[in-house]
Amino acid sequence: MKTNSIERKYVVPGDVVIEGDHNPIANVIKEGNKIISTKIGMAEIAYNGVKVIPLNGTYVPRTDDVVIGKVVEMNGFAWEVDINSWFFGILTGSAVFGRGFSSSKDSMQSQFKKGDCLVAKILSFDRTRDPLMSVSGPGLGKITEGEITHITSSKIPRVIGKKGAMIKLIEEHTNCHLTIGQNGAILLKGTEDGRLKAKSAIELIGNNAHLSDLNDRVISLISK
Amino acid sequence: MSENNIERISGRAPDELRNVSIKAGVIKNADGSALIEFGKNKIIAAVFGPKEVHPKHMMVSNRAIIKCRYHMMPFSTDTRKRPNLSRREIEISKVIREAVQPAILMENYPRTAIEIYVEILQSDGGSRCAAINAASTALADAGINMRDLVAACAAGKVNGQVVLDVDDQEDKTGEADMPIAMLPNKDLITLFQLDGNLSKEEFDRALELAKIGCNKLYNLQKDALSEKYFNENNKKEDEE
Amino acid sequence: MPAVKKHRIVDAITLDSIMSKLSDSKRTDGRGLLDYREIEIETNILKDKTNGSAKVKIGDTEVWAGIKVETAHPFPDTPAEGVMTCNAEMLPISSQYVEPGPPDEDTIELSRVSDRGIRESGMIDVSELCIKEGELVYSVYIDVAVINEDGNLFDAVAYAGTAALLEADKSKFTIENDEVKMLEEREKLPIKSLPISTTFAKIGDKIIIDPNADEQEIASARLTLVTDENGKYVSAQKGKPGGFTFEELKELSVISKEKGEEIRKMIKEAVNNGA
Repeated sequence: MKTNSIERKYVVPGDVVIEGDHNPIANVIKEGNKIISTKIGMAEIAYNGVKVIPLNGTYVPRTDDVVIGKVVEMNGFAWEVDINSWFFGILTGSAVFGRGFSSSKDSMQSQFKKGDCLVAKILSFDRTRDPLMSVSGPGLGKITEGEITHITSSKIPRVIGKKGAMIKLIEEHTNCHLTIGQNGAILLKGTEDGRLKAKSAIELIGNNAHLSDLNDRVISLISK
Repeated sequence: MSENNIERISGRAPDELRNVSIKAGVIKNADGSALIEFGKNKIIAAVFGPKEVHPKHMMVSNRAIIKCRYHMMPFSTDTRKRPNLSRREIEISKVIREAVQPAILMENYPRTAIEIYVEILQSDGGSRCAAINAASTALADAGINMRDLVAACAAGKVNGQVVLDVDDQEDKTGEADMPIAMLPNKDLITLFQLDGNLSKEEFDRALELAKIGCNKLYNLQKDALSEKYFNENNKKEDEE
Repeated sequence: MPAVKKHRIVDAITLDSIMSKLSDSKRTDGRGLLDYREIEIETNILKDKTNGSAKVKIGDTEVWAGIKVETAHPFPDTPAEGVMTCNAEMLPISSQYVEPGPPDEDTIELSRVSDRGIRESGMIDVSELCIKEGELVYSVYIDVAVINEDGNLFDAVAYAGTAALLEADKSKFTIENDEVKMLEEREKLPIKSLPISTTFAKIGDKIIIDPNADEQEIASARLTLVTDENGKYVSAQKGKPGGFTFEELKELSVISKEKGEEIRKMIKEAVNNGA
């Protein structure tokens, strides 16, 4: 019987979320008759399955995700980018310069050097290799201005909101432009005051991601 | 089983645990961390990872590797200890790693390393068990997928009586020390050591007591994690 | 976080932010060039196994110091002097950039500079650490654990070590019939002075006090200066591959004395409150 009701509860690793024949979706394991949480978070039991929305944990790259990171290493043919994940993202010289690119540290350095911040896209990531990235595309590339703030990556959906409602709210009230990295990094462009407000809104979301009246709280915080 | 409860040096009942408090998230730079005060023990655990493996040849293609280091600060013991890792610390590092590894879903993290560092700031008997409780809390705090938390506690025999949670003073005159660690929601003991002299009855009784102690530590870990993750928000609500 | 790279890399955006704020003589956390972050000092935190202890936080940098006082045979060339050693440990818990293992050159420098700051000031008069000449002296061990690293370990380690020494006590001995007897009484260590360390960093042509980790990373040079309560300079160390001008050194020596006085009061207060 399909119902729209979702049961929610806080869980830690090892907690039994529910017993019975349910479909394990994310951050849970099935052991015999029990669905067990593997993370600290909010368990959600719905008709189609059981998952736990984690309240912590490092970012796991997914294809097509837009991420924000910093170049930490480079050699003759690729840059390594710290995206706050298990591995560095790899941006190859050929992805940037095109095929037939002949490796040279000088030409690499002239494009991106250690410390540069980038908005990039994940091209691929699987269990056998480090995530590959690209900076070709609108909105991608080296970051030259603004401020970067961080939040647990699992809370990013709340910063975006339903159909972008939350991010729109923040941008309107702070006159800032936000670029969201799925890895938990957010680029803020705007005045110093605006950025400060935006940061406090993001911090509020980070601490209260599970609350249902989040929109109201954010508004009351930043509409002054 | 003897009915008269001999008074312990510490004044505790035979099945009484020392005072324990656990706090999650105490080191800003670490991915996960916890401070445990277990009687007079003061121990901090920090977790870094999952992360790249160095040196690369140690990488395993289908799962994470776990690195663990138990280290005592020179000022942590009665007599000042030299800073370098002793053989005892190396052995304890190994048994701690082997105690927590079964709880970690290592196949979720191929080609990575998960590093656990435990620092003993003050030691008073049962530090390896306290360390495991701190490490388990720190792993959960780091968001590492675990099938269960890991709870640890020791039982022992002091003055002919089987007791729970032997402290340093009792250990010096005691006849046995049995530290154990377990996954509380499963019938799985992942650390088991024995030092001493126990009859079969005493052995069974010690196991029973240690299990009770572990369950208490399990609840304390849950409390510490709830305090950080589930109540923090409520606290902030009250402040506004 | 994956980085097991040795060095912290300050990203370009943060770097720009630090530099542009500096041109206004400000810092990214709102501090002035010569402002310390919030300093917290708590003593007696490891009372069960140490003779003295202290926890110091400077901003997010956190260190714990423990004092152990033991008895030992004196060195043959100083039969009436006690022994003092100071050791700082960069623990792997404190940062993703710290590898477990034997101390590297940064850790060794930190230990030795902290040691000299205490030793050269004569804070502990080792001639008053003799129990029986040629036979038994006190051996004072100062060990400091770095718990969270966010720059300026030199000052944090120094404050923790000195606060712990001030708070510490030891067993008292007497000589009866040429034999050493331990008494029930305890006594404080022979403290003669309270040296205070101040650390500066140079970024471009601006000099700041108490650098955080990012500031420390981009700085071209670092200077630690230690003064005692008589306004004397007792220890100094320049670090990082850059330099200071003669004029700068003279100016910093003045600032070091002033800041030193303020912080000296803070440490004394903390020790009194902990008693």
